[in-house]
Amino acid sequence: MFFIAGYATLQYFVPELILGIAGFIILALGMFIVSRRLYAGVTFGSLAVAFIIELFFMNNPYSLFGGTILINNFGTYFALLFLISAMLITVPSIMNISHKPEIFYALLLFVTIGMLIAASSTNLIILFVAFEAVSTGTYVMSGFHKTDRTLEASTKYFFTGAVSTSIIVMGLSYYFEATGSFSITPQVISSNQAMLVALLLLMIGFGFKMAIFPMHQWAIDTYDGSENSVSAFLSTGSKLVAFMIMMRIFISGFSGEAYDYYLIFTILAIVTMTYGNLSALSQTNLKRLLAYSSIAQAGYLILVFSAAGFAQDNSLGNTLVYDAVAAGMIYSLVYIFMKGGAFLAMNLSPNPKVQISDLSGLAKKSPVAAISLSILLLSLAGIPFTGGFVSKLFLFLVLIEVKLWWLAVIAILNSAISVFYYLRVILVIYRGQPAEEFRITRLSTIPIVVCAIIVIALGVYFQLFQTLVGFASGLFGV
Amino acid sequence: MLLLYLYISLFVLTVGTFFGGKYAKPYALIVTGLYFLIFLIYFISKFYTLNGVFNSMQSIPISSYYGFDFSLQLSGFSALLVLLSVAVTFIAVYISGTRYGKVFFGLEMLTMAGLVGLLLSANVLFFYIFWEVVLIPVYLLIGVFGKKNADSISLKFFVYTHIGSVLMLLSFFSLYTYQYENTGTFTMSISALLTPSLINSMPVFWRGFVFFGLFVAFLVKLPTFPLHSWLPDSYESAPYPVTIILAGALSIMGGFGLFGIMLPVISVVPASFSTVLIILGIVSLIYFSLAAMSQPSMKRMMAYASAAAMGFVTISFGTSALEIQNSVYSANYILDVTGGMYQILVHGLIMAFIFASLYYISRSTGKEMIGSLGGIFREAPILSAFLLAALLASLGLPGMAGFVAEFSVLAGIFPEVGMWIMLIIFAMLITASYHIWMAQRTLFGPYNENLGNISDSTPGSSVILTIIMMAIIILGVFPHYAFQLLSSYASGVI
Repeated sequence: MFFIAGYATLQYFVPELILGIAGFIILALGMFIVSRRLYAGVTFGSLAVAFIIELFFMNNPYSLFGGTILINNFGTYFALLFLISAMLITVPSIMNISHKPEIFYALLLFVTIGMLIAASSTNLIILFVAFEAVSTGTYVMSGFHKTDRTLEASTKYFFTGAVSTSIIVMGLSYYFEATGSFSITPQVISSNQAMLVALLLLMIGFGFKMAIFPMHQWAIDTYDGSENSVSAFLSTGSKLVAFMIMMRIFISGFSGEAYDYYLIFTILAIVTMTYGNLSALSQTNLKRLLAYSSIAQAGYLILVFSAAGFAQDNSLGNTLVYDAVAAGMIYSLVYIFMKGGAFLAMNLSPNPKVQISDLSGLAKKSPVAAISLSILLLSLAGIPFTGGFVSKLFLFLVLIEVKLWWLAVIAILNSAISVFYYLRVILVIYRGQPAEEFRITRLSTIPIVVCAIIVIALGVYFQLFQTLVGFASGLFGV
Repeated sequence: MLLLYLYISLFVLTVGTFFGGKYAKPYALIVTGLYFLIFLIYFISKFYTLNGVFNSMQSIPISSYYGFDFSLQLSGFSALLVLLSVAVTFIAVYISGTRYGKVFFGLEMLTMAGLVGLLLSANVLFFYIFWEVVLIPVYLLIGVFGKKNADSISLKFFVYTHIGSVLMLLSFFSLYTYQYENTGTFTMSISALLTPSLINSMPVFWRGFVFFGLFVAFLVKLPTFPLHSWLPDSYESAPYPVTIILAGALSIMGGFGLFGIMLPVISVVPASFSTVLIILGIVSLIYFSLAAMSQPSMKRMMAYASAAAMGFVTISFGTSALEIQNSVYSANYILDVTGGMYQILVHGLIMAFIFASLYYISRSTGKEMIGSLGGIFREAPILSAFLLAALLASLGLPGMAGFVAEFSVLAGIFPEVGMWIMLIIFAMLITASYHIWMAQRTLFGPYNENLGNISDSTPGSSVILTIIMMAIIILGVFPHYAFQLLSSYASGVI
């Protein structure tokens, strides 16, 4: 009887099972056929099937294993985002991954499984294990190819990652000490010092992965050194996993310490976005520029915690918290396409170390790629009619709504600074003669074009926010 | 809903220019020409009674909770400016060479679409959005197609205007916040946010902040004295079609901000701000006129002339604010405000005329510096006549449109500025002198034989220049309809 009941729960893990089976099939295929296109096809297909299943069959709220796994719209939304971020890099990575591709694609699938489990878990142990699955896989992915650059990237990433893991574990133990439980539920509240230590440690541990200010330095070198598609994945999927886990832990689990986490995240957000934007201003290496801009974007993202924490601390009501969470959700969605697309656009240049000047005259070689990349950069800058504008707009509106509008002022000024370095790149793209060689192939242009189209579509689809507000309550349980 | 459909179709057709290939130019000409006629007919049908106050509000709801929707409104003032900006874009597209390629035309059209959206927007959010939509294409037009140092000059242009637009957004958000504090609901409609009662309910600091942000944004675009240094460089470096758009169409943004957006709250503008505006306006007039006089390049000289002419707009806004608060006779300030708005309108037209004729002269001679021309009336009489007409219009010759505007402003501001008006008269004298002096040095006198044989106006250029000239003369001799429309808008809003 128990066996049958256990069998019935399997239906909630069909996406994970599909990805896992596909991963092992790829590994097995690797013994007979070496064809990157085949592996990419299998990977993409399995991700697409998992995406469809998540989209259509995972909407009913359901709680499993005594509440440690929670299936609802919030988790499913993030699961979809993670699947998108994996799908986005599957096809373009054919260009770069030549050495043992089967391992790369299998790893990508296994990492995605970790992400999917993290998306639906409300138990800190499960979250931690899923998060480790993601981290370990991405350590290997960033070191793929074993050149000096990628190895440096991977080593830095691994060491900081290992340290952050231990800090997270320590934070978890303090959390357990304070609450007597590993489950993240809003009612587990007790204001004692252990809770504060746990807050700090968890913030630091997950902050490493999200690359917020004092814990960011690995990210610059790793994004710069890894393969373009791996950088895209690290700065979208892997960062958003940390963001989602942090939303679960802090907004839900630490709602009793709202003032404390509001304070910490507000300071970090201000410092992070200012630091990211100011550092990006002087970069000539395009990948480093994007890395710094990705730090700045993390700064905008954690404004969500400021808004939510302030709303909880002043008992402004759950609606405002949901609005804040929904702003984070819409930002995550747009962020995948604009940041992932921008990193994938680095494939246009054959150099591993892409300088801004390498893109000079791109518009004359490939107008489509140039316009698409411009759209992505404008979206990162938050220019109207792109998704970046919509997501920033709602973020700022939420800040105003909770009456933190001085923070909105700082964020707006930051986003004004950021326009300059993106526009500098755009000008280079259109000016000048194409001196360098470009790799204009279908693999390098189509992903950018797709991202640009989606970013524009999200830029005019304002109504999405209202839908997401409905999903946001899933953060707090079924 | 007609206006909404008109605008959305215009925007979609505009984006189509990017896919026009080698037909981009005729396509852009057809679209602008067609929409000029459509807008003309539509506006005549709306405003045949010459009642220029807002008479149209149409919206598509987007987020009712946060209070923003895509909504358009139409007043007599914005209707005239829409016609102006479409017409100026038509001129700019007409004189652009096809060699620039489809992206150039696409960006020109996008600028126009953004500008029309900005003029029609009834919502601060979309006002800001369209403000940005105008900036980015112009930045690219200057940066990519400009001449020497274009990248740093375009960056300068962008830094100035972007700082302005960020301050403007912050002002709008502070209004939005206080409106929410007062009523508990969000709204972003211009008519709800820019009301005297809302501004009076704000603390003094934030009231000042709102006005500061809005004024900086709009004065940068006019431009007014300390915020002008992007202007001569951008005008000079940009290719002629872009200069025409900059001088003819983009210069209305600042003026529209003052008279189209801030007119309802003119009665609560702090008196210190108004005084500073008047002083800045007078300083701009004199300083830009003197600066223009010493320029060796015709394009740069006319850039300064354009900036100087906008000094009237600043003065007009500042004085009318003071007049309203000091309860001077309403006839005075209505005349003052109307003169300022009329100046915005005709300045765009005159500048388009000037830069179009300068373009044709530089096309046939290959020269832009005053020193390298001379006596070209002998070889190219028709072109020279057009340039002379443009210069006369710009200096405010009676019978041309500029005179009507400047005279109304002067007549309207007298009760407030008193004898200081002499400074403005002095500036007008300088203005007249450098225009005439330039005509003398370039068009008349002994022919500069280094130029060789130059060709005169082609039929195509004659037609377009004649049309602009006729429009300027008609607006100068018979200003009744436009003036009445503006003055009924002004009296209706104040």
